[in-house]
Amino acid sequence: MRGSRLYDLRLYLAVLAISSFLAGCTTSASGRYFGLTKPPSNNILRYITGSEPESLDPQFVTGQPEARIMMALYDGLVEYHPKTMEPIPAIAESWEINSDGTEYLFHLRRNAKFSNGDPITAKDFVYSFRRGLSPDLAARNANLAYYLKYAEAYNSASAFVKNPDGSFVQKNAGAVAETKDTDSFGADSEFHRFIDAPERLTVPSDEKGRSKLTDKDPKLKALLENKEFVPVRAEDVGIEAVDDYTIRLKLYQPAPFFLGLLPHQFFRVVHQASIEKFGKAWTKPENIVTSGAFKVARHRPYDVLNVVKDPNYWDAASVKLAGIDFYPLDEQTTMLNLYKAGKVDATYNHTIPAAWNDTVKQFTTEYSLHPEAAVDYYSLSVKKPPMDDVKVRRAFALAIDREALALFQRTKKPLVDFTPEGIFPKYEEARQKIYTELLTAQGSSMAEWKARIFDAEKARKLLGEAGFPVQQAGSGWSCPSFPVEKVSITYNTSESNQRIAEFIQAQWKQNLGITLPLKNMEFKTFLPYRSAVEYDGVVRNGWVGDYMDPFTFLNLFYSKTNDGATGWWDPKFDKMLDDANKEVDEMKRYEMLARAEFFVMQQQIIIPLATAGTSWVKKPYIKGMYPNPGTLHPWKFVYLEPDESKWTQSMDDIMKESDPVMNAQLEQLTATQEAMKKAKAAAKTAE
Amino acid sequence: MVENVEAIKGASLWADAWKRLLKNRLAVFGMIVLAIMVVAVALGPPLIRWMTGITADYIPAEGELIRSFPPSSEHLMGTDEAGRDMLARVLQGGRISLMVGIISTIVSLIVGVSYGAIAGYLGGRIDNFMMRLVDIIYAIPYILIVIVLLSVFGGPNMPDWIGWLSEKLGGAGNQSLSQIFLLFFALGLVSWLTMARVVRGQILSLKNQEFVLAAKATGVSTFGIIFRHLVPNALGPVIVYATLTVPSVMLTEAFLSYLGLGVQAPYASWGSLAADGIKNIAIFPWQLIFPGVTMALTLFSLNFLGDGLRDALDPQTRKF
Amino acid sequence: MLSFILRRLLIIIPMALLVVTVTWALIRIAPGNFYSTERKLPPAVEENIKKKYGLDKPWYEQYGIMMLNIVRLDFGDSLRYPGQTVNEIIARHLPYSATIGFFAYLLALVVGLSAGIIAALKQNSLWDYGSMALAMLGLSVPNFVLGPILVLFFALGLYLVPPSRWGGVSNIILPVITLSAIYAAYIARLTRAGMLEVMRSDYIRTARAKGLDEKTVLLKHALRGGIVPVVSFTGPALAGLLAGTVVVEKVFAIPGLGNIFIQSVLNRDEPLILGIVAFLSIIIMIFNLAVDISYGFLDPRIRYE
Repeated sequence: MRGSRLYDLRLYLAVLAISSFLAGCTTSASGRYFGLTKPPSNNILRYITGSEPESLDPQFVTGQPEARIMMALYDGLVEYHPKTMEPIPAIAESWEINSDGTEYLFHLRRNAKFSNGDPITAKDFVYSFRRGLSPDLAARNANLAYYLKYAEAYNSASAFVKNPDGSFVQKNAGAVAETKDTDSFGADSEFHRFIDAPERLTVPSDEKGRSKLTDKDPKLKALLENKEFVPVRAEDVGIEAVDDYTIRLKLYQPAPFFLGLLPHQFFRVVHQASIEKFGKAWTKPENIVTSGAFKVARHRPYDVLNVVKDPNYWDAASVKLAGIDFYPLDEQTTMLNLYKAGKVDATYNHTIPAAWNDTVKQFTTEYSLHPEAAVDYYSLSVKKPPMDDVKVRRAFALAIDREALALFQRTKKPLVDFTPEGIFPKYEEARQKIYTELLTAQGSSMAEWKARIFDAEKARKLLGEAGFPVQQAGSGWSCPSFPVEKVSITYNTSESNQRIAEFIQAQWKQNLGITLPLKNMEFKTFLPYRSAVEYDGVVRNGWVGDYMDPFTFLNLFYSKTNDGATGWWDPKFDKMLDDANKEVDEMKRYEMLARAEFFVMQQQIIIPLATAGTSWVKKPYIKGMYPNPGTLHPWKFVYLEPDESKWTQSMDDIMKESDPVMNAQLEQLTATQEAMKKAKAAAKTAE
Repeated sequence: MVENVEAIKGASLWADAWKRLLKNRLAVFGMIVLAIMVVAVALGPPLIRWMTGITADYIPAEGELIRSFPPSSEHLMGTDEAGRDMLARVLQGGRISLMVGIISTIVSLIVGVSYGAIAGYLGGRIDNFMMRLVDIIYAIPYILIVIVLLSVFGGPNMPDWIGWLSEKLGGAGNQSLSQIFLLFFALGLVSWLTMARVVRGQILSLKNQEFVLAAKATGVSTFGIIFRHLVPNALGPVIVYATLTVPSVMLTEAFLSYLGLGVQAPYASWGSLAADGIKNIAIFPWQLIFPGVTMALTLFSLNFLGDGLRDALDPQTRKF
Repeated sequence: MLSFILRRLLIIIPMALLVVTVTWALIRIAPGNFYSTERKLPPAVEENIKKKYGLDKPWYEQYGIMMLNIVRLDFGDSLRYPGQTVNEIIARHLPYSATIGFFAYLLALVVGLSAGIIAALKQNSLWDYGSMALAMLGLSVPNFVLGPILVLFFALGLYLVPPSRWGGVSNIILPVITLSAIYAAYIARLTRAGMLEVMRSDYIRTARAKGLDEKTVLLKHALRGGIVPVVSFTGPALAGLLAGTVVVEKVFAIPGLGNIFIQSVLNRDEPLILGIVAFLSIIIMIFNLAVDISYGFLDPRIRYE
């Protein structure tokens, strides 16, 4: 009896330990598929999309989880290609772009309808665009549409400056008038003449904002004296309904990537009448009117959003799913548990915890690891010592073995440059050419550039040149003169950020003999701290491309208030980008962008670390769902295949696979646009 | 103060309690486990370092070693995903966990006992006001308090004395350690409330007894009555409650770590190790088992000891 | 007595307002805001947001507006989820927590009481040590460890129940078990201690001496005395359960109030935080009051004037 108490305790502990070990064995890679694998019988896809959607309002929401839902509920002028994410026709059947790339003309389908049966016309798009830009909505994505002429002025409540004689002050007063485009197309209209005229000057419409500007600029002050200020209205923004089924967009400067931006949810069409009727309650399931392939059936926040196929959708014939259940979940382990138990069919990107990776990747019919339009990098505070010295910055960059880091992260590829690899093949070609040219001019070579991925020897040398000599200390190194107290590695709390920070901390310790303290912060605390460049030395950063063009990455260092969080800004770099965007020839433009990238990479204001792989899973019976660079799936292409012989055979080859069902669908969609292109080409050769 | 009281009241009461405690085998078991644990976490990390050169935050330089290995003769508890030795981490985590428990309990003792005693003795409006204040703080979610404390006083606004403390213990510019100290105080500041209630209840039942009236009559100051006469007599329940506060604070810390707000890298606590391990339980069970079992064993022992102390110090009441 | 209850009930209102004020101050002190994301916002967009939500006004004005709304029991719209009112969100998510909490407490009562009674009746037997060690285990294993272990066995090993999410009865089995563990452990220990104390008391000895049969003695007299501490434990326990138990809700992805609350703090969703804090603080204070009152009934030595 006496001993039994202790005996009991030991027994319980042993049971606990053994049971955990047994449990550990249950997740070994046995069987063809990962967990229970059976297509849902009701033809409803169960998908995990990330955290609870903030709203079902496409102009309001910003996150990736919401983007996927908006793609089901709303249709736009154009849609993403399921494999490449290039824009393909949606409600716009075809489009034309003028020769200097500032005007777009969209021809809409005549059979497009909202979920309540109302027709979708050009006016609805004009309403949707203006609504997104309205200062009252305060949409956080409004700046996506700033390329439209006067969009920024309207969104920031600015005003035109009117002379006493009734004319308006121009933005570049005195400068030579911009060359007018020769092929101004579509019907002539009063609005078109207004929007095509030289750009007007806009200033803040309130006295306070104006005086802030004029205090710094006496010339502007003189200019504004005795002038009338006319607020920029929604009607002044560069979008026009030429007729019921034709839309004309006017940009204030060429933006060759603009079409690629238009499938974004911000530009999808919403129903004016129901929004005006219900106000902020319009997104409630009982009120909401949508324009996409699916409509809302039921919404239980934090639990599930059920959408069902909309029979009113113009392309309903090619929508194959009966509906989609979107599950809002954040915990990766929870997601994989549900997936393994056969309770969900697919997850969004980056949902495989690093620890699970080795197991999950064995299921090659389910696991996707494809290049992604996303980069991980560390920003450096270039205005504060010791990081104000480019040699120090380069030394720290060189001292990280980025190949080992990528290996350690399992799902990443090392990165030397900023724009990710494997996404923009044409740009990479141009970059290769330009870099070779520029490096040769410097007396260096491409091989030497590539070696930047890790060179501890050179890093120590550079650090020595910067005044912080690195000495041999036992089997390692030490750098006693380096001001460790002035530099720390700051990141926002998350398991993967922590792992990377710990790895890099160890790398610098081993290669430079410098142990930097780690500093982590809760996400919302971290954001203002980083963007105000308050951090010391090194901070975690990352970027996901908005559209399929290298500019979405290079734009990060553009303008004084740029998002790079380094404190660096160079008007020379801005000019390089502006010039590139004015270039109409695609390859020439890429070459100019590559020069800009080379320029910024020379400064080493950031340390590029890795480009992400998609890293998600889908059951093999889902077809028409591809690991594209943004993991954004146009849902009308997705279907469930009951016949096991037609299931996905290998995720690695899925992008090469040719699915007759999808090909037919794509062909039908793009027919008009292709015919138009052909006709134009024929006309050109005839000339 | 306490020594004084012991001298006056004679050793017999405490000696009796000690005897009763020794008779309780589970409590003795708890004490032995705790003693072993304290020795292990105090001496373990330097010992491991001396024998193998490995520290808790050592990440191997060779890429192929950076992964989770199962337990082996080289790594008795295996390694975590970054290739760090789990034994070293569990021992180092034990330091933090025990410190979290002890320091936070001391904070809660100091604040809770004085607060509860003052409220209980003064009574009336002051008591009412002080207890309502406790109710209010009780109703503010501690997670909010922890976030605010960590974000406002973490980083550049760190109070100097915390920086000084962590500098003494861990070296200059050790931000993670400072953050841990901040966490100790944040936890201490939210865990004194129940202590205050317990003490107040005790004082209420004691303050009308003869020895207090006698002290009053002989002109002892209010402060003197509270801290020399009342508090020592309420010490039994306070000690018992303190032993139970330690495990509850450790669990709270584990919970905060689970939410990503607790102890931060490169440091670890049993809670943060278990929280990391639980995510990988199906793949690398050893990452959960070792910190989990160690933590459960310690909490087990603390609870046993608490039970034993209650029985020993307060043989009449056997609540809980 | 009645005036005491009334006075305490009335004082809850200013206290709740004070709690809200302190919480509001804490949110305002904490860095970060509800609209910040990984991307930096252009200044114009940030201005628009500030204007829209009245953040451009001086702080005392904002505080005044907030307090006025709260006095009218209108917490306004969530900032994170525009178009949803705070009251609506609380009403929607409370039932999830309440359901899990209710069943968990029920299970804990059944398991805890039976374990406690058996342990008390067979004191110092293997039953006693076994159930008490198990109870100690319940107190010592964090539920974020217990939950995943259960999931691993029953949901992913045997495919008996779903691993997480809300849904049918099968969905709540594991969360209820996980949540009830610690309460069952407490109740078992309380019941055992209470029963043992009663059984040593004079009136049980009298009852036995009178020749009442053992069953009647135990179930009628000893048990009644033994569960008194359990009753007083129930008050705060239920308040805590109603408030939602963050860990279990997180482990099992249940959309309960606790989960929502953590999210609202991390999102800096001020109206939602204030709404939940005000709601919970009132509930906690009412339950505290109930406990105080019940002491009056249970222990005649305590009097409220």
